[in-house]
Amino acid sequence: MSDMDSFRLETRAWLEAHCPVSQRQPIVREEQIWAGSRSTFPSEDARQWFEAMRDRGWTAPTWPTELGGGGLSSEEARILEQEMARLQCRPPLYDMGLWMLGPALLTYGTPGQKALHIPRIVRGEVRWAQGYSDPGAGSDLASLSTRAIDQGDHFVVSGTKIWTTRADVADWIFCLVRTDPDASKREGISFLLIDMASEGVSTRPIPLISGESEFCQTFFDEVQVPRDNLVGELNGGWEVAKELLKHERKLMATMEVITEKVDVGLVDLAKSRLELSDAGEIADGDLRSRIATHLMHADALHHLNETIYRGMKAGQLDPALPLTLKYIGTTEQQRKDELMLEILGTDGLAMTGTDSVEQERMVRNWAYNKAHTIAGGTSEIQLNIIARRGLGLPE
Amino acid sequence: MMILNDEQRMLRDTIADFLAKESPVDALRALRDQEPELAWEPSLWSGLCELGAPAVASSEAEGGLGFGQVGMGALILETGRTLCASPLLSSAIHAQAVIRHCGSPAQIERRLPGLLSGDTVASVAIQEGSQFRPAPRGTRRNGNTLSGDKSLVMDAGAADYLLVSALDEAAQFCIAVVHLNTPGLTIQSQRLMDGRQYGSVSLEIVEVEEWLEGEAVEQGFTRALDEATIMLCCEMLGASRELLDRTVAYLQEREQFDVKVGTFQALQHRLATAYCELELAAASVFNALLAMDKGETVLSEHASRAKALVGDILQHLSNEAVQMHGGMGVTDEMDIGLFLKRSRTCNQLFGNSAFHRNRFATLRGF
Ligand SMILES: Cc1cc2nc3c(=O)[nH]c(=O)nc-3n(C[C@H](O)[C@H](O)[C@H](O)COP(=O)(O)OP(=O)(O)OC[C@H]3O[C@@H](n4cnc5c(N)ncnc54)[C@H](O)[C@@H]3O)c2cc1C
Repeated sequence: MSDMDSFRLETRAWLEAHCPVSQRQPIVREEQIWAGSRSTFPSEDARQWFEAMRDRGWTAPTWPTELGGGGLSSEEARILEQEMARLQCRPPLYDMGLWMLGPALLTYGTPGQKALHIPRIVRGEVRWAQGYSDPGAGSDLASLSTRAIDQGDHFVVSGTKIWTTRADVADWIFCLVRTDPDASKREGISFLLIDMASEGVSTRPIPLISGESEFCQTFFDEVQVPRDNLVGELNGGWEVAKELLKHERKLMATMEVITEKVDVGLVDLAKSRLELSDAGEIADGDLRSRIATHLMHADALHHLNETIYRGMKAGQLDPALPLTLKYIGTTEQQRKDELMLEILGTDGLAMTGTDSVEQERMVRNWAYNKAHTIAGGTSEIQLNIIARRGLGLPE
Repeated sequence: MMILNDEQRMLRDTIADFLAKESPVDALRALRDQEPELAWEPSLWSGLCELGAPAVASSEAEGGLGFGQVGMGALILETGRTLCASPLLSSAIHAQAVIRHCGSPAQIERRLPGLLSGDTVASVAIQEGSQFRPAPRGTRRNGNTLSGDKSLVMDAGAADYLLVSALDEAAQFCIAVVHLNTPGLTIQSQRLMDGRQYGSVSLEIVEVEEWLEGEAVEQGFTRALDEATIMLCCEMLGASRELLDRTVAYLQEREQFDVKVGTFQALQHRLATAYCELELAAASVFNALLAMDKGETVLSEHASRAKALVGDILQHLSNEAVQMHGGMGVTDEMDIGLFLKRSRTCNQLFGNSAFHRNRFATLRGF
């Protein structure tokens, strides 16, 4: 047996022993385990599952063991992922530090920053928020104006960040700030880590179309930030920011991580709600055909991820290929949500007050997932990148 | 994109070099304008056979080159890029698969070597009428004779024999091997818009040389059709990729309003979304090839998914390519029109996207 085969068998056995049955079901948002000092476990099983994974470093499988990670190779991590998918294990931890900041810190952080922050991320002790967008700087992120004035051993930060997901419950925030207002847009930006408990930081939640208020506007009023919290070079923050965005987009392309997986499949839903022919086929041929197209795309997206993985391993990957994933993944998710809503008919118009939690969840997700073609770089920005960097069309 | 091993990559490069020399798009133009009409250029076919092209996918045990279906797929993709007209699809892929999956051991031993070397060319006759339906309806066996009409039979007039799907007296599926100069068999050859030759085959009490029959034949025939469909998808991917590359190159050069037209975002986004769809379709085709190499025998879902996705994107890209070339796009001087026309025949061959979406939905149980 190859090393990888035995790793697979060991992993399978370990997961079977340590993942409680209740944690082997599609995740719903209320039961996600979020990092941070304010977070609580949705259940005792969830706590057990999280702790077992944390103690193996498998909340961050590929990060170095000396920093608390799992130390797995990318091939082993993939096997872990496949085995978790096989058992339908829920993700053990949700956090932007885990998904985005951590990978960027491992590349750009000082030894001191890594030693301080990485283990706390792996252990889920700190919840991170992302402070990129300013009210005046969304797609054109580099035009941001939140200021940080260099005072030698510390910076003084003033300004406001917007769309900061769950900043109200975050412990820390990673921010892009302008440190040189005279330099060209991208050259005057630095990357700072800010403790949300610092004096002068405040947040205000923004209600959304899904009925939730996940986002905040975050205000910085002359906040003092130690110089040790600067990641990368002074005025070199854009490079760090781009590295981090790569991880964000990769994450957003594999929608399952951030969206709830609704347990009812599209086909089951359609067959239980729609008129069927004598042969048991959906009678509405137009809808049936659009469902088929969506399922084909969903399969193909899976195949595309496989191709990218194979290509990477074989050193033959066309670099344009990964650029497509965020656009495709988020667009297809929305296509599915629209089909669900259509299948629900007028039942799908009720967001609250029905006796079906499941149905309300589908409707809420329909609204919620509208954000995914906007967050992390809009679809239009993705298409710009694909056209120019991927296909080589002129700027 | 397809991820190839070293041998497969070498094979692909060899074929690409060969096609660049022996079968550039101009070769199709020449073939199209030729009198008397040929289904393919004999020197091109013998060149392909010398390279072993018809035996690429076949295992070494069978006397083939053992590059697997991924190897064959990579080869066929290249033929799509230059619109290479040859009996690779009709004979080396489809007829071979029918013999392999439907023949008795003796029939396989007798018929496969000729198809592998390319010395023999056979074509499979399935369709009846103008809409693709894989099940035979009007083609009937009576004793040892066959009667009926088949349409859109690739390279029919130039083949040595045809493999004709039919129903026997008990309405059971069977396949007839019919030699070309058998009395009662008439083939009306026609050059379709893609410049290639197809036959309308009419059979009137034609004496059949032998039958492929038995319980497993229908299933084998479906498998062969699915395999051929997946390979056709490879050709279509090659054509799509070529259309995209040529269009990008044109937009990088052509100037209007004092800028390259490729700077216009409306055009950029259209090509970017087309590229995403092309790569999705390509991933599905590649996955289907891998499934074949893994030995999966039920390929219908793979084939239908691939054909629907590739059919849609090729149709779309061929239209976009014409549009983005402006007036040049509708001239016969530009090759784009040849790709446009090939795309339409490819879409019809083995069933169009609508047919395969419907089939996919049925296979998935809805
Ligand atoms: C769910 C969600 C979570 C988020 N979380 C965070 C977070 O935690 N932290 C954070 O900092 N930010 C976050 N954001 C903000 C997100 O990054 C921005 O919303 C996004 O970058 C778009 O910026 P904008 O909203 O200002 O839109 P705008 O940039 O104003 O865009 C408006 C429209 O113009 C289009 N457009 C803009 N420029 C171009 C162009 N060059 N070419 C073509 N079209 C263009 C856009 O595509 C869009 O359709 C989040 C957003 C969402 C929806």
